[in-house]
Amino acid sequence: MTDRWCGDGRASWLAAWLLVVASAGVVMARPAQGGGLIARVTSPAGFAVEDAAVVLEPLSGTVPPKHKQAVIEQKDREFKPYLTIVQTGSDIDFPNRDPFKHHIYSFSPPKVFEVKLYGADKPAKPILFDKPGEVVLGCNIHDWMEAYVLVVDSPYFAKTDATGRARIDAVPPGKYRLRVWHPRQKKEQATGEFEISSKSSEANLTLDIAPRIVKPKPPLGADRDSY
Amino acid sequence: MVFRSLQRRIVVVFIGLLTLVMALVLALVANRSQSIVAAQMQRELDAGARIFQQLVEQKRTQLETTAAVLSADFGFREAIATQDKATIASVLQNHGSRIGAKVMLAIGLDGRAIAGTREGEQPFPELLQQAIEHGKRAGFRKLADGKLYQIVIVPILAPRQIAWVAMGFPVDDIWAHDLAVTTGLAVSVMAVSNEATQVLASSLASDQRTALESDRGAGGRVLDGEALTLQLGDAHYRTLSLPIERNLVVVLQRAQEQVQAPFNALLIALVTIVLGGMVLFCIGSYLLARHIAGPVNTLAMEARRIAAGDYAQPVRDLPPDEIGQLARSFDQMREGIAAREQKILKLAYEDALTGLPNRTRLLQEFDARSSQHGAMAVLDLDRFALINDALGHPVGDRLLTEVAARLARIVPPGVLLARLWGDEFALLIPEADERVGSALAERLLAGLRVPILIDGQRLDVGGSFGLSFYPRDGNDVSTLLRRAELAMYAAKKKQVGVMLSEAVEHDPPHEQLSLIGEMRDALARDEFVIYYQPKLDLASHQIIGAEALLRWQHPTRGMVPPGMFIPFAEQTGFIREITPWLLNRVAGQAAAWRHAGLILSPSVNLSALDLLSPVLVGQVQHLVRAHRLPPESLCLEITESALMEDPALALAHLDDLADSGFKLSIDDYGAGQASLAYLKNLPVHELKIDQIFVTHLTTSPKDAAIVRSTIGLGHALGLKVVAEGAETNAELDWLRDAGCDIAQGYGIARPMPATQVAGWVAARVAV
Repeated sequence: MTDRWCGDGRASWLAAWLLVVASAGVVMARPAQGGGLIARVTSPAGFAVEDAAVVLEPLSGTVPPKHKQAVIEQKDREFKPYLTIVQTGSDIDFPNRDPFKHHIYSFSPPKVFEVKLYGADKPAKPILFDKPGEVVLGCNIHDWMEAYVLVVDSPYFAKTDATGRARIDAVPPGKYRLRVWHPRQKKEQATGEFEISSKSSEANLTLDIAPRIVKPKPPLGADRDSY
Repeated sequence: MVFRSLQRRIVVVFIGLLTLVMALVLALVANRSQSIVAAQMQRELDAGARIFQQLVEQKRTQLETTAAVLSADFGFREAIATQDKATIASVLQNHGSRIGAKVMLAIGLDGRAIAGTREGEQPFPELLQQAIEHGKRAGFRKLADGKLYQIVIVPILAPRQIAWVAMGFPVDDIWAHDLAVTTGLAVSVMAVSNEATQVLASSLASDQRTALESDRGAGGRVLDGEALTLQLGDAHYRTLSLPIERNLVVVLQRAQEQVQAPFNALLIALVTIVLGGMVLFCIGSYLLARHIAGPVNTLAMEARRIAAGDYAQPVRDLPPDEIGQLARSFDQMREGIAAREQKILKLAYEDALTGLPNRTRLLQEFDARSSQHGAMAVLDLDRFALINDALGHPVGDRLLTEVAARLARIVPPGVLLARLWGDEFALLIPEADERVGSALAERLLAGLRVPILIDGQRLDVGGSFGLSFYPRDGNDVSTLLRRAELAMYAAKKKQVGVMLSEAVEHDPPHEQLSLIGEMRDALARDEFVIYYQPKLDLASHQIIGAEALLRWQHPTRGMVPPGMFIPFAEQTGFIREITPWLLNRVAGQAAAWRHAGLILSPSVNLSALDLLSPVLVGQVQHLVRAHRLPPESLCLEITESALMEDPALALAHLDDLADSGFKLSIDDYGAGQASLAYLKNLPVHELKIDQIFVTHLTTSPKDAAIVRSTIGLGHALGLKVVAEGAETNAELDWLRDAGCDIAQGYGIARPMPATQVAGWVAARVAV
């Protein structure tokens, strides 16, 4: 079957359908205070979707570089946070907060890298994410560790909290392409056009995601003995 | 089947029973071993199948784990992530060899093969689909090289899944052998389709594998999961099949022969024991049977010997067991038989009373005699019957014993003394002529003359001897004895002690002999009739009496005269039965006449035996009472010779009769040994002059003188005188003139039947 999430998003008719859904969200939107967007992402069943990325990409004009450094910690044998959104060209620092080493890697095309076993002393320099796209992070010695980096060509983005809300502030008014993405989304979401006024706007977005399958994490003692 | 031989029967029964028991045991063992083998095979198969399944499952898990570990290898993942086919193929090759996977195939998440160790390997869409659903998947697949592989498909995670990797581990004979060693079963994997059956891997030897492959029918049945037994080459395999994939079956087999082998060994051991046991039993039971049958046969021989009359040898000693006891019982029986035979012989040939040889012995001795000539003597005691009757049989027996003892003392060696019966003895005197025989008889008589004392009574025993001689008188005992007996009777009659056969007349005519035999029947058949001859009172011319005369109306011979049978009746003693009959009839007749008004005193002749009978007086008294006759109306006639036998006893009886009122008459007076002394003492009333004197009365002056003087004598003694045989009127006239009281004879009347008497008397009166 091909209804799994696929990188190329071939099923155009489905994309069209989702566009309608997104447009509905646009129709329902009302201007937000101070040129921003408050988005609420829910599953088709109505549950709040956490860790969804909501990105506004300007349709015209240049994107102001907003070089920013992000940090993804390795703590308690987990990546924290689960999802990190950065603008293209950002550096991400990977500090190790565990008393043992990690070996992080990415085979994702936007950024393939590997930081071999390193300890609490952080790697020599942060990793530069200089291409837009989705990057999956893993740890070679802790298979269950998993984190996502979404690299976008826009400084206007936010990720939903536990209530499914994301807030993007200080967005200059204008026309934007509204994009919603989630690491476990079942289908590539089609983008919709969205106009940001001086006031804050709101958007209700629907996204179907797969439940997070947490890979078994051995207890620490065993882990310590094993690793 | 009937076995005449005990020995054979014992052997056959023993062996038969043993064979039966052993056959049952063998049959049971064989039968049980079949089912045990079947059950054990099934058990082994089931257990093997469980082990097999467990092993395959373990192997699968192991392979999956191995594959998962491999797929988690960073370098591997890195290589796959590169999307560089050459690199990917290379890393697959390299890592596959690490874990012994012969086939490695990287498959994209879209299900297309990315790269593989072999060109053109298909990416197992079915397995992949199942892997997508379950995360991972293992299965068996026959690949393009025609070989079977266990395929494991695991995801490659980085850390998200970026691809699948399929690893193929060869399922070959080594695989089958490993499992076969662990399960204890033959393991084969078969690809079964409608067209062909192919053995892909097997622990079987090549020829059996070929047989399994070529067994076309087996494929289908194996596929059905049916439990079955297949013959592969010489061996039989109990077969269990486990389908592992579509058209792919694992065949687990257990060779029946292998399981059977220990039972076959057991059976062979058992059969050996049975055969050995039967041989031992044959020998043992033969010996035992011989041990039993041998003495039995010996005993049977002993029994035949005893049956043949050989009692002398004791039965041979035999073992001290039951047979020995039987032998001892046999011996006791032998002694018993011997003793009893002695006794029987004694009884058969010896007279029980006197201990003398008996008649049978006499016959035997005579038949066995060596002498060409000799004498047969018969001795009869005088008056023995009298003594027996008067003093009783015990005394008679003792008398006989004493007589026998006396005779035996006198009899010289070589002479056989035997008791014939009653008071009759016989002697077989070999080589004896008349002189020697007579002399011996005289000596014996002399010996008897000495009175014998029994219980203080003196018994005078006399005897009469008759002698016959062989071969002159005959050459058989019965003839010689008869001749001697006749001579003896003659001697007794003439009271001469000893008479020789030549001195007496030869045998009475045969007619007479047969008559003697018929007399007894004649009495029973009422063939005797009584004729009456009237007696005439010469003075009054009245018929005052009639003499009763016995006649025999023989059915074939007609009227038999008394002279033909009366003497023999007297000799044989049969007269003792006739006389009471006669007396009874005569008394009845007298009563009848008296009733008819005819007063006739019948007279009846009594023989010597009658006269000596102790019951005679009582009988006669009873008769007259019964017929209500006055005693004097019955006249009893006796001859002088009848008195001679035992004068004293005869006289005593006569006294009794006379006292009872009976009239007594002396018959045939003058013809016998007349004794005037008797005449003087006898209590008689009448004297009958013998007819020999009367017949010649008118012609012989001497006879006339005798008659006349006898009449005078009678009258002088107070007796009535009767003349017998008066045939003519002249004689009657003479007699009347001479004073004779009564006359009897043809001159008056012939004897006539009783029925005619009354008529005749009436007619005479009328004249």
